[in-house]
Amino acid sequence: MKKWHFTILYLMMLAGQVILCNYFGLSQYVLISWLPVLIFMLPHRMGSVVSMIVAFATGFVVDFFSTGMLGITSLALVPVALSRRALIPLVFGDEQVTRDDELSISRFGIFKMALATLVACSIFFLVYIWADSAGTVSFWRAALRYLLSVLVSTPVSLYVAKLLRPE
Amino acid sequence: MARNGKFYSGMAVAAVFILLEIAAMSMLKSSSALQDVWINRASHNAMAWSWGKVSRLQNYLSLQKENELLAGRNYELFKELQHYREMERELQTMAKLDSIGFRSRFNYIPAEITAMGTNSRHNYLILDKGTEDGVKPNSAVITPNGVVGMIYSVDPHYSYGISLLNDRLSVSARIGKEGLVAPMSWDGHGTDHAILKDIPLHLTVAEGDTVRTSGLSTVYPADIPLGITMGSRLVDGAVNVVDVKLFIDFASLRYVIIAENPDRETIEKMEQ
Repeated sequence: MKKWHFTILYLMMLAGQVILCNYFGLSQYVLISWLPVLIFMLPHRMGSVVSMIVAFATGFVVDFFSTGMLGITSLALVPVALSRRALIPLVFGDEQVTRDDELSISRFGIFKMALATLVACSIFFLVYIWADSAGTVSFWRAALRYLLSVLVSTPVSLYVAKLLRPE
Repeated sequence: MARNGKFYSGMAVAAVFILLEIAAMSMLKSSSALQDVWINRASHNAMAWSWGKVSRLQNYLSLQKENELLAGRNYELFKELQHYREMERELQTMAKLDSIGFRSRFNYIPAEITAMGTNSRHNYLILDKGTEDGVKPNSAVITPNGVVGMIYSVDPHYSYGISLLNDRLSVSARIGKEGLVAPMSWDGHGTDHAILKDIPLHLTVAEGDTVRTSGLSTVYPADIPLGITMGSRLVDGAVNVVDVKLFIDFASLRYVIIAENPDRETIEKMEQ
């Protein structure tokens, strides 16, 4: 039941992201995405290969149903999935890995979750904005867009993380 | 065993990651013209970079061949230069030259150094040419930049020589074109220095003069530049010694020329 609960919430958040992409474009300098945290919070027992495939599929769904370019979200989301296994012990400690605890704010505290979310968002937006700019935007403009997107998306993602695993 | 398993699983993760990223890029390339151009440009840059590296590697690997080619050309040019030098000398001494009757005094054979010592006081060298190539003992080993040594013994395919970096070897040298003649030998200090010995006290030697082979020996061809004078000092209160900075770089030496004087034995018999 717990497993299905997570899956349903995951799909709902995914749908929410599609809606956000289609109807709530804030500014060309600010991108809001909670997809990195969705990937980051996938069950811990899920291996890197499976989580990368899930990340690819998630990105594909978002790109397919939104006005975005097909492939760009997958391109940015797969590195987040790859870095997940290395990042979790670094931020939450080795104990978490051995106990196989699932990530949640109530268990690990807001600070550690905020740090992990910040790193995940940073990786995601780095690749996303780099590919989206395609060498046509100046470095400082791309850097500003990156910084604003990470700063806005990190607290939003933290809230999404709280909804995804409230316990 | 566990380490192997970890390695293979890491490789599998890397392979899946690369595959998924390539798939995402392919989708992106086909869905947007701007990204298509960008990815094409990036891939062309990457290809140009890798071709450049491969080309540099190929050039590096073919250096051996190029070196041999250059050494061959160097040898031909040196032979020609020596011929003209000898002709010039003959012209100066004879006033007129019967050019039909003129022939070079030395036979030249290009060779490659197989082994060479530079760390002791009695250094040697082994060359890849022997009696089957026409090498004879007491031939000079030279380059356009100076004297390398002298052949001591020969077998059918290799020859053994005494290096200039051997205090037993002495070369008859001249300071300038028409200047003082004195024996030059290695002083045992560094591979780029030698000394001109037995300079009378009343003669002064200017710094920076070019030292060449004198041509007064039956072993070494004349006018091969050896080095430049660095300054002189008094030895035993009787004679001066002149320091010479050699042109030749023994550290990077590989290709040499063996100069053999066919008239050497005749001249030496006459001297006796």
